[in-house]
Amino acid sequence: MKRYILNSFVAAIILFAAACKPEIETPAGTTAGQANFSKYIAVGNSLTSGYADGGLYLEGQKVAYPNLIAAKMATVGGGAFTSPFFSEEHSNGSGYISLTALVNGTPTLTPVVDKLAIRDAAKHLDKYNGEIQNLGIPGMRVDLAFDPTFTFSAANPYFERLLPDAQVGKTNYFQFIQGRNHTFFSLWLGNNDVLGYALNGAVTVSTDPTTTLTDKVTFSSLYANFLNALTAGGQKGIVGTIPDVTAVPYFNTVTVAALLNAAKAINPAAAAIYIQTGTGSVRPATAEDLIRLPFQSEGIFGKPNGSGIPYGLHPLNPIENKWVLDKDEVIKVKDYVNSYNSSIKSLATSKGLAIADTYAYFNQVASTDGVNVQGITLKAAFISGGAFSLDGVHLTPRGNAVIANVFIDAINAKYGSTVPNIDITQYRGVKFPN
Amino acid sequence: MKKFLLSALLSAPLWVLGQGFQVNLQGQKQIGMAGAGSALALDEASVFYNPGAVTFLEKNSVSAGVNPLLFKSAFKQTGSNVTEDVKNKIAPPFEFYAVWGPKSNKWKLGLGVYTPFGGLVDWGDNWSGKYALTSLNLKAIYFQPTLSIKITDRIGIGAGFVYNHGDVNLQRAIPVNFPDGRSGKATLDGTGTGYGWNAGLYIKTLSNISFALVHKSKVITKLDGGSAEFEVPKSLEGSFPAGNTFNAELPLPATTSLGIGIPLSKSTVLAFDASWVQWHIYQDLSFDYATNTPALVDTKSARNYRDGSSFKLGINHQASEKLALRAGIGYAFSPVQDGYVTPEAPDADRYILSAGLGYTPTRHFEVNASFFFEDVKSRKQKNIETGLDGTFKTLVYAPGISLTYKW
Repeated sequence: MKRYILNSFVAAIILFAAACKPEIETPAGTTAGQANFSKYIAVGNSLTSGYADGGLYLEGQKVAYPNLIAAKMATVGGGAFTSPFFSEEHSNGSGYISLTALVNGTPTLTPVVDKLAIRDAAKHLDKYNGEIQNLGIPGMRVDLAFDPTFTFSAANPYFERLLPDAQVGKTNYFQFIQGRNHTFFSLWLGNNDVLGYALNGAVTVSTDPTTTLTDKVTFSSLYANFLNALTAGGQKGIVGTIPDVTAVPYFNTVTVAALLNAAKAINPAAAAIYIQTGTGSVRPATAEDLIRLPFQSEGIFGKPNGSGIPYGLHPLNPIENKWVLDKDEVIKVKDYVNSYNSSIKSLATSKGLAIADTYAYFNQVASTDGVNVQGITLKAAFISGGAFSLDGVHLTPRGNAVIANVFIDAINAKYGSTVPNIDITQYRGVKFPN
Repeated sequence: MKKFLLSALLSAPLWVLGQGFQVNLQGQKQIGMAGAGSALALDEASVFYNPGAVTFLEKNSVSAGVNPLLFKSAFKQTGSNVTEDVKNKIAPPFEFYAVWGPKSNKWKLGLGVYTPFGGLVDWGDNWSGKYALTSLNLKAIYFQPTLSIKITDRIGIGAGFVYNHGDVNLQRAIPVNFPDGRSGKATLDGTGTGYGWNAGLYIKTLSNISFALVHKSKVITKLDGGSAEFEVPKSLEGSFPAGNTFNAELPLPATTSLGIGIPLSKSTVLAFDASWVQWHIYQDLSFDYATNTPALVDTKSARNYRDGSSFKLGINHQASEKLALRAGIGYAFSPVQDGYVTPEAPDADRYILSAGLGYTPTRHFEVNASFFFEDVKSRKQKNIETGLDGTFKTLVYAPGISLTYKW
């Protein structure tokens, strides 16, 4: 008996020494599955480039979702991932907006104008030469990627900066992304094919190809060209669906109800907000009509015109069409998004590719309860929601981290890989002024 | 008899389930026996384990002991390749007891000061669950004056009044960012009080097998006017006003225990305890702030604990006149349901292993030491409220020592 008790006492001490630290079995970070991440390239637009707060700048570039994914791929055989970073001296890149005050919930947004990477009076940006794998270009569209005139490569400063002078105006994005010997790719493109139109209040400017809606059939065939080119060597990859562009804070912050409340605070008799619709008719606005975010800072609301009629509060001086995505335009935009997404999904499925359904994910973020992840409630609210940056369209670092996990989960599910997830708490939301 | 005990063990319904914040370290001898011993009139710690047994103690005594406790918890986010560990912080559960009564009389008085609930977890300010919790320091100190009476030579009853002094300090990060990117922080700090009782029945049968039935009541601990400090960017200070206070309520559960003591020989005794911890009263953790703003509303976080239970088996062997050896094993069922596991109490069912020894150099002095180990099973969870999704694994180590003076 005595010996038994002594032995168990000794056993307890041995156990202590051996097992002092709890261990958790780890499946993550051990295999690439059927995928090969040794050279990953990311094809896309502003979201892929790390554009945020209305500009492209170094902090955003570093936390672009492809960069976050690539860092995690490194644990399962992923190679280096290069990006066209701005230099430290010019870290503010194109410039961006920052939140400088918040008074009674009303934000003051101020442009950041120091440390810019603007190299000439025509606002061209610092050139970046050298091999890159983050190929995201702000403003890039599926249709303009095939620009037969090659003019977009000169007109878009984010594209121009990546090209040697000899190629400026002589190539397009579809050519630009090819010949890069990739083993894995992500393609999240197509948002701007409908967003450009929506951001302009559904007004197409004939001289500005970034404000058009890309034809649905054209979209499908051009997208197929992308997938054919990117899988030409049998490469595996992932595509992202297009989020509902009407669900972003840009269209849901300056609401009709908020404007009406503001009007009533000054004139209790104010009964309705008047808008000019896409068809030119004028009518009282409803909750289904969306007002663009910049309307708030434009300072025209309620201003009387020459006849003394306040802007937006009378049928004779309605909010102009360009500020409004009216409910018919919302339906149209949603229809295009749905059509593009069904093309993206069926094309990707036929190629056996992974699909990151960012459309579904952002709809969840935009729901009343938002998404609870790691103690954070992520919502689509402007500034407080945490996912969207100060331009109301692009993502915060936290939003990038969350979406990177959506991509990683889809990659792992499709290819049996164990790319580790990202700890989103390491990434910030909007910076609040001190 | 042994056979009977075994079958009782096997057929025991799983109604006794129980950990959460419960700290089962109230007497070195019992700790050495995995926490069993309510049916043994072992020593002055019976004030806690069974007030009914106190009157059967042969001597008057005072004792004080401490069990520095190391709670080693680890977390791995689902899909992550990083394991995060709590910081090494030593929690100091302690116990103090005094028992006195006129010799060969039918009653004894007792006083116990002990720490039946508590928690000390510090995950650091920058771990992946920081927006759920960064650290918790919870202490409940019970003061229990007790009266124990012999009804017959073989039956004793006892009861004590319990006053609880509770301290809580809870910290977590807030998902708003300063211009330099760091997160905001909330610190809730308060003290509270609560009242309850502890009563027990001790029966020693003619075969010298003893039985115990003990009930320790719930203690609803109320925290009033605790300080609620928020460290946020200046532009948000209006939403998180300075000098705010909060009220909260922490219900500490009742425990009902059934104990059996079986003498195997003159020098060896076996003890078995089954405890039912009525955690179901812990339905939510609510904070009621004195000043509310649209960003700072009163919170009510569901906890939905069910009842917990534990089964403990210990042995005490008097190896010589001066030396006693002890060992114990146990198993406890967690009160925390799936979906409600939090980093403040990363609970799961657990194994208990213990050992101890006692040394009595003189008639008056006694030294007891114990070592208590808990292996809390690994548990993969997604918390319903916070969305924190990952696997917790915890090991608990508590060496302890106490000194006793008897007369």
